[in-house]
Order: sequence, then structure tokens, then C-alpha cells
Amino acid sequence: MARLQRGYSEPREEKELREEMSDQSDDEGPEEVTFDASKAVALKSVKDARDSVKREKELLKEKRRKRQLLFQEQKKSRLLPEALLEEFETVVQKPPSLPDDQAEQQKEKKIKMKKSKKVSKRLQGNCRVMRVKDGSGNTSMQKSAMDFIQARLYGSGTQRTTNAELLSLEKKRGLHQGAAVQFTNKEWGADQKAKAEKCNKRFIHRQKLIST
Amino acid sequence: MTDYEVSVQQLNDLLSDENGHFSMPSKDFNEVYPRILLGNESVATNVKLLQQLRVTHIINVAEGDSYMHVNTGAEYYVGTGIIYHGIPANDVEYFDLSVYFEEGADFIAQALAYDGDRGKVSNCKFSVQTLICSVMGEFKVHRVRFFDYMPSAIHALAFEPKRERIAAARADGSVEIYDVADNFFQEKVVPGREKRATEALAWVGERLFSAGLNGEIVEYDLDNHKVKYTLDAYGGPIWAIASNKQGTHLAVGCEDGTVKLFEVCEDKIQFERNLAKQKGRIISLSWHPSGLRIAAGMMDMIRVFDTETGQSVHRLLVERGIGTAKSKECVVWSVVYLSDGTIISGDSSGKVKIWDDCTGTLIKSHQVTKWDVLTLSASQDETSVVAGTSEGTVVQLQFISMVLGQEEKEWVRTRTFKNHTHDVRAVLEINMAIVSGGMDTQLVMRPLLDKIEVKTTATAFRKIHFPHRSLVSCAKKTGLLLFQYPTHLDLWRLGESDGTGMPGSSLAIKRKPEKLLHLKIKGEDHVCCSAVSPCGEWIAYSTVASFRLYRLHCDNNNVSITKISKLPKILSSANQICFSSDSSRLFVASTSSTVHVAALSQTECKLISSLKSKSGSGQAIHLLAASEDGKWLASANSAHEVHVYNLKKMKVHCTVPIYSSGVSAMAIHPTTNNLFVVHADQQLFEYSIDQKQYTDWSRVVQKNGLHHVWLERDTPVTNVTFSRKNPAHIVLHDMYMFCIIDQTLPLPDKKSQFYNQLTLRSLPEKERKSQSHAFKVCKTYKELLFAGLMEDQSLVVVERPLLDITAQLPPPVRQKKFAT
Repeated sequence: MARLQRGYSEPREEKELREEMSDQSDDEGPEEVTFDASKAVALKSVKDARDSVKREKELLKEKRRKRQLLFQEQKKSRLLPEALLEEFETVVQKPPSLPDDQAEQQKEKKIKMKKSKKVSKRLQGNCRVMRVKDGSGNTSMQKSAMDFIQARLYGSGTQRTTNAELLSLEKKRGLHQGAAVQFTNKEWGADQKAKAEKCNKRFIHRQKLIST
Repeated sequence: MTDYEVSVQQLNDLLSDENGHFSMPSKDFNEVYPRILLGNESVATNVKLLQQLRVTHIINVAEGDSYMHVNTGAEYYVGTGIIYHGIPANDVEYFDLSVYFEEGADFIAQALAYDGDRGKVSNCKFSVQTLICSVMGEFKVHRVRFFDYMPSAIHALAFEPKRERIAAARADGSVEIYDVADNFFQEKVVPGREKRATEALAWVGERLFSAGLNGEIVEYDLDNHKVKYTLDAYGGPIWAIASNKQGTHLAVGCEDGTVKLFEVCEDKIQFERNLAKQKGRIISLSWHPSGLRIAAGMMDMIRVFDTETGQSVHRLLVERGIGTAKSKECVVWSVVYLSDGTIISGDSSGKVKIWDDCTGTLIKSHQVTKWDVLTLSASQDETSVVAGTSEGTVVQLQFISMVLGQEEKEWVRTRTFKNHTHDVRAVLEINMAIVSGGMDTQLVMRPLLDKIEVKTTATAFRKIHFPHRSLVSCAKKTGLLLFQYPTHLDLWRLGESDGTGMPGSSLAIKRKPEKLLHLKIKGEDHVCCSAVSPCGEWIAYSTVASFRLYRLHCDNNNVSITKISKLPKILSSANQICFSSDSSRLFVASTSSTVHVAALSQTECKLISSLKSKSGSGQAIHLLAASEDGKWLASANSAHEVHVYNLKKMKVHCTVPIYSSGVSAMAIHPTTNNLFVVHADQQLFEYSIDQKQYTDWSRVVQKNGLHHVWLERDTPVTNVTFSRKNPAHIVLHDMYMFCIIDQTLPLPDKKSQFYNQLTLRSLPEKERKSQSHAFKVCKTYKELLFAGLMEDQSLVVVERPLLDITAQLPPPVRQKKFAT
């Protein structure tokens, strides 16, 4: 019985715990914590904080040291050819100065150009000067007008067919009956032929008619 | 058989209907491939029908004697000449049909190779054939199909009632003037220009104006066949131009929503003012005959303006079509304002609507088509209106009383004409006919039979496909052909063949025809005339703005061309160009009927003289003909005047009496120096230049009159050449035939048969002579752009099948036809 009771009691305890938890979450009342436990927790947190600060400092130190080392090595590598470099500098000092000047002059020119451009811009405000006659505005308007007529007559929803179909229909119903136009004129079917071939391949592939 | 493939999917689609069920063929047999018929049992067992169809081979793919099979065999067709082949196939799914494929294909190939009765459709672009006519003699014929002439769509038509002229504007910017009274002869052609995009035409008296999407108004100089001036309207693309009845003002409708009024002054037009600006483009315009009001078709509405105040008086709302997307606006493509205040509109919902301008209300609406109504035109007496639709139909509405004897009249839809396969963009109702043109590039004249009292050739139904002048010139001595396209020229060398063949058969081609040159024109103007010299060394062409002359060097396979840079300044443009027969002289017909004569040497071109007839109308010359001996030059202009110049004295020699019809072709005979002139009404004249009078033959022709079948031909003769071998033979051609006139034979009797070639052939040799007459017509070659004799007595025939033109047109509308 006792076992059984214990067996029963365990879930009860759990339930209580859950209730406690739910109480906590609901903030219905303050938590009861023993003094010792709280003290230990407080001490531990302080220690943790101290440790983390120390660790950070050490990391920083390490970083600085590494950087120092890197600088030193770089300095050494530069130090080595310095004598040579100096020699070079003494020889090549004059020639490069010329292109520099030129570049400067060019820069100056560019700046002047820019200035002049700016000046014109300032004069015109935000507008640009263009001849009306060769303006693209006219042609673009013409194009849009043509597009309008194209869209109205041949655009979507206009129910158009092809000339080949029209002629074939005549062949089928007219006085002189014959085969469809695509068949009688070899040049006509060219695009359809290509399309058919493509379509055929796709169909075979889809239907898995040929196992590859 | 291998050059056309159909996918399995497409086959499935073809065989099944919308629900996925297999649909049975509607007929017992069909020609599924040229010369191959696919049929069922009823055809296969009907020997009589097979013989009617001229079947030579039969393949039975269901040989057997069960009810599923067709029980025929080789013995079934004994005595019919039909070759039989059987395949005992069963219609069960495990039957392997593929083993018979090769066998069947072989049999079909063998059958196709068999030269049976069923004509083989020829699609070769070039062939050399021999042609024999019982009396004509034998010719070697170069059948040429590589001239890809493509006319452009007709966008606008306008009628000038006083002189009965019709102006037609095409998509490439060219304008053509047709003479209604003179058998619809294409009297004048103003060459086009790139980007002109003419949308509308208007006559003001005898002056012609056009406006286009490039935003310019153009006035034409109809004497010299060119543009007089252009004027920017500053309103964006122009959709419509209309003149008032008084001839004082022009109104243009612009893309930016303004209607601009221009005053018509002498020699120019002057901007007067804008009417109240609207939102959206002005698509169509029509003046009230009083000139006080203007109706303007726009998007979704029609506006009526008062021209005095410039304000809009009415706003007529046009509802959008049913079944179309609501966002798709309704375009009022055309309006007509009648004198009783009725406004008639045609719109993109396919309706012709009749409005009252007093109240601004809709009186009646006619659903004419499922597609767009693109154009409207009212008759002179305003009792009838015709509407052109996207379907290719022209629908007539008439103002008639519904009950006999009652006064009250109504607009009723009466007749429908279908003469076009593509959209009708322009329509006109003239006195007794309806003229329409559209995307299928042909101009159709349909007579209204209720208004015609006497049936004559002038009132016959006409379709104009090709221009009434030659676009081909040939170098007779070297076998070169120059084709004139709007923006380029092509020079081809004819092929050669060896030996002789059976009459009517194709000869083996020894050398294929080759394209020697593709000359692109500089600038935006289109070519108005071109010529190659008889020796083939010179090429000249002219646009409105410039004249160019090139020298061609041909050594074996290398073709080079040099431009002659120093041309006399006076040769700035030409209406017609011609070379003398020895290629030493160049004749250039220029403005106001003058002909400049220039001498050609190796590298230069020097002006010798300018010829001008003192008594003349100053109209532009459209035909030139030089004599073989270099002594004479004849010119014909659009005022029907034919002048003959003496090239030795550089003076006018004589003027041929003026005939009422325009000159469509002429040439000077190489040996007799007689000028042979053919007019648009098919009349023939032969004029002796030496004696300055008509020849006896010509007098006899006029006295007897030509055969009525000849006079009823509806396309003008566009080229005349002579046979070197037989000086009495004259070769003429129009669009549907070429003809040899033998001047030694008697003229056809009025009652005799005109096309008598077949009967002659069946007659014995002795009777032929008594039966034959001067006109020998050959209709073997159709849709001719050119036919002429070369130096070596071979005939060159340039064909342009209409089918090939149709193939390049924009798509037509899809119409559901029953049982297709």
C-alpha cells in the first residue's frame, strides 16, 4: 500500500511543482528562498563577472601582442630593401614628376570643363537644350501611336488567325480543293517543322515512349 | 515526304475533338498531301470515282475478307490501269503495323515518281521551259519567280468628284491617283518615304493633302508626282484630316486631343486656331456640309464642336462592347456628319451608330461585325453609307422608308460585300460603285448594280493587285534583270539551259540564276524609277531628292560597281529613266515635261541637251521609249500627251494626236520606226514617226474595232516588245496573260472566237490559216509583273504569285466556319 501511496504521491509532488512554476510565472507572490542559497548564488555571480572581465582583458592583451608582432615583422620586411629603395628614389625622382604634372593639368582641365558645364547647367536650370526637329519625342510619339493601332487591331483578344490557315480553309472549301498550304509550299512549313520536331521530342520524352 | 513533320501530340490533337473523342473525317476522301488522297472503303471500291479522280496507284491497308477489312485485290482493279498494293493489317492493339511502313512508303514513293495524270505542283523559283503555240512558233521561256515584290497596305482613300479621281495612300507613304473614268488607270504615283505613315487623305478642290502619324501635313505636287511641302502641326501624330465642303479650311485631329483648323490659301495652308482641347486622341473627323460644325470621334465618345466659337457643343458617349474587357476603351474609328444633322459613327465594338446632333441622342445602332468597324463613307446624295470592317466585309446601310409609300425613313442595313480577306482600312462610295482597300493591299472596285443602267467595261468589277507600270527593267543583250523595290534595287543574271526539249517541258538548267547586286538606297525617300542599260553596264535610279548613276563591271565572277560622281547639276531627280539601245545616251525625264539627254562615256556623264515641247501641259512624263537606231525618242505624260523628239536635231519632231485614255505602254519598232502605243482602255495605235501619221494597220484596227473580249480585259498592258526574228510580231503583256500580235494576219471578227489556240490545234494544217487571227494569247503564266523578249529570242516572264503576297500579310481575323 505504502508503495502504492508513494507511487501516487510522486505525481502529486510534480503537480505541486508545476503549480509553483505557474505561480511564479503569474507573479502571484514572492518566492521563498533560503538565505544560504541566495548568498551562494550572489557570490557565484560576482565571481563569474570578475572572471569574465579578466578573460576579456587577457584576450585583448593577446590581440595587441599579436598586432605588435605583425607590425614588427612588417617593419623588418620593409627595412631590408630600404637601401635599395633609396637608390631607386634618387634615380627615378625626376621622370615621374612629369606625368604627375600632366595628370594634374588634365585634372585641372577636367575641373574647368566640369565648371563650364556646371555653368551652362546653372544657366538653363534643370532643362537641356535640344533641337525640336530631330527630337526623339516626335518619333517616340509616332511609335506609341503605331503601337496603339497595332494593339487595337492585332493585340490580345483580337482573335486573329494565320494566313496559312485562311488559305488552307479556302483550299478545303473552295472550288479547287487541295492539300493545306503548308504542304504544297515547302518554304512555308519551315518554322512549323522545327516546332513539330521539338514538340515531338518533348512528347516522346514525357510519355517515355523510348526508354533511354 | 520527310520534309514535313507532325508531332504525335499534334496528330492526337488533329484527330480528336474538344471533348477528346476521336472525330471521324467529314468526307470520304481528302487530299492530305499533294497528289496523295486518303479515303475510306466507299471510295476504294468505287472504280468510277477513282478513275474520275485520276488515281493511278492504290494502297489498301486493311486487306482481308472480314467485315473489318476492305476486300479488294489486284484483280479487283483489273482493266482500270490502277496499280494495287495490299497490306493485311488488323485493327487490334497488339498488331505490329510498323513492319509494313517501309513497304508502304516505297510504294507511295514509287507512285509519286510515276508520271501520272495528276499534275505535279511546281514550286520552283526559276525554270526554263519551252513553249509552243501553233502559230506563234517556239520560244525558250525563262520563268522567273525571284522578284519578291510586296505591295503595302492601303490606309486611306479619297475621292475628288469633279475630275473623278481617287487618291489612295499606302502604308509606305506613297500616294497613287486613279482615274475612275479611264478604267481605273493608275495615273500617278507619288513615291513614299520612310516614317511618313500616312493615315488620312483629303482633297480640297484639285489639291491633295495628307496627314500621318509623323505629325506632318503634306501637300502633293500632282503635276510632278512629288511632295510640294510638309508642315508640322505640332500636335503629335495626326489621325484624321478633313476638308470642309466650301474648300476653305482643313481640320486635323491630333494625338494630344486638339482639333486644329488650317486655312487653305493659295500655294500653302495657314494655321488658324485650335478648337477646345480634349483629353485623349482625336481619331476621326467629319465636317458638317455647312462648315459650322465638326464631329470628332475619340476614345469612348464623339464630340461635336462649333467651329465659330471653338467650343464643344455635344458629348455623345459610345458604350464599350459587350463581352470585351471593361478596361478596353471603345475607339470611334470613323464618323460621318450628314447635312440633316445625323451623325453616323463606326467603332471598335463593331457597331454602326446613328445619332441626332440636335438632341445628342442615339437613334439607332447596328451591330455590323464582331470585330471593328474601321471606316465609313457616305454617298454624294447621303442616302447610303458603307462601312468597312476588320472581317474584310463592306456593309451598306441605306436611308429608306420601311413601309412602301410612307414618308418616314430609317437607316437600314441592306447589303454586305466580301471582297477582302483582311481588314478593310478605307472605303469610298462613289457614284455607282464602292471602292475599298485594306491590309490585303488590293484596291477593289465593286459596282452597285442598281445604279448602273448600261453595263460597260468602265462599270465592271475590278481588283487592282499590281502597279500599272513596270518595276522590272531588263538588259536585253546580256540577260540581266533589274528589280525595283521601294528601298533597294536587285540585279539578277538569268540562268542558262542547254539544248531543246519537248514543248511544255522544263529544260535542264546549266547555270542557275544569280543575284549580282543588292543596291540599298541612301536616305529616307523611296525609289521612284530605275533602269538598266541594254548592254548591262549602267544602272540608274532616282528618288525624289536625288539621281544616281552607277557603272557595273562584270568580269567572270567578280562584280564591282562605281558611282559616277560628277553628274550634271540639272539631273537632280527623275520621273522616268531610259537608255539608248547602244547605251551611249541617257534620257532623264524631269520636272515639267522636260527630257534631259546626257552622253555616257567610260567614266563620265555629260549633259548634251534638254528637250521640251512648247505646247504641253507640263505634266510629269511616266513613259520613255528610244528607237533602236538612236534617232527618235518618244515620251508620254499623265495628260495623255505623246511627244516624239528627233535626237539628231534635238528638237520636237511631232506630237501624236491626244487620245482620251492614258498611255499604259509604248515602244518604237526596231526596223520600221513605228511607235506602238497601248492605252489604258486596251486600244492599240501604231504611229509612223517618219510619216507623222497613223499606219495603215492602225487605221484598220480603228475601223474594224477590237474584239470585245480584248476590250473587256481589266488590267492594262504594261510592256511592249518586238521580235527581232519576225518584225511583224509584237509582244504585249498584262497581269494575266501575254499576247503576240501578228500584224500579217487578219484581225479577229466580232463574232469569232478570241481565244482560239486550242481549237486551232485540233484543226488540220490547211484549215488553220483560215481560222487564225492576229491575237495569240498565252495564259500559261499568271500574275505577271513583266514579260519581254530578249536579244536571243528567249522570253522572260517574271511572275509574282498572289499566294506568296498573301503569305506575308498581317494576320486576318479568325472566323468560325461550319464544319471545318
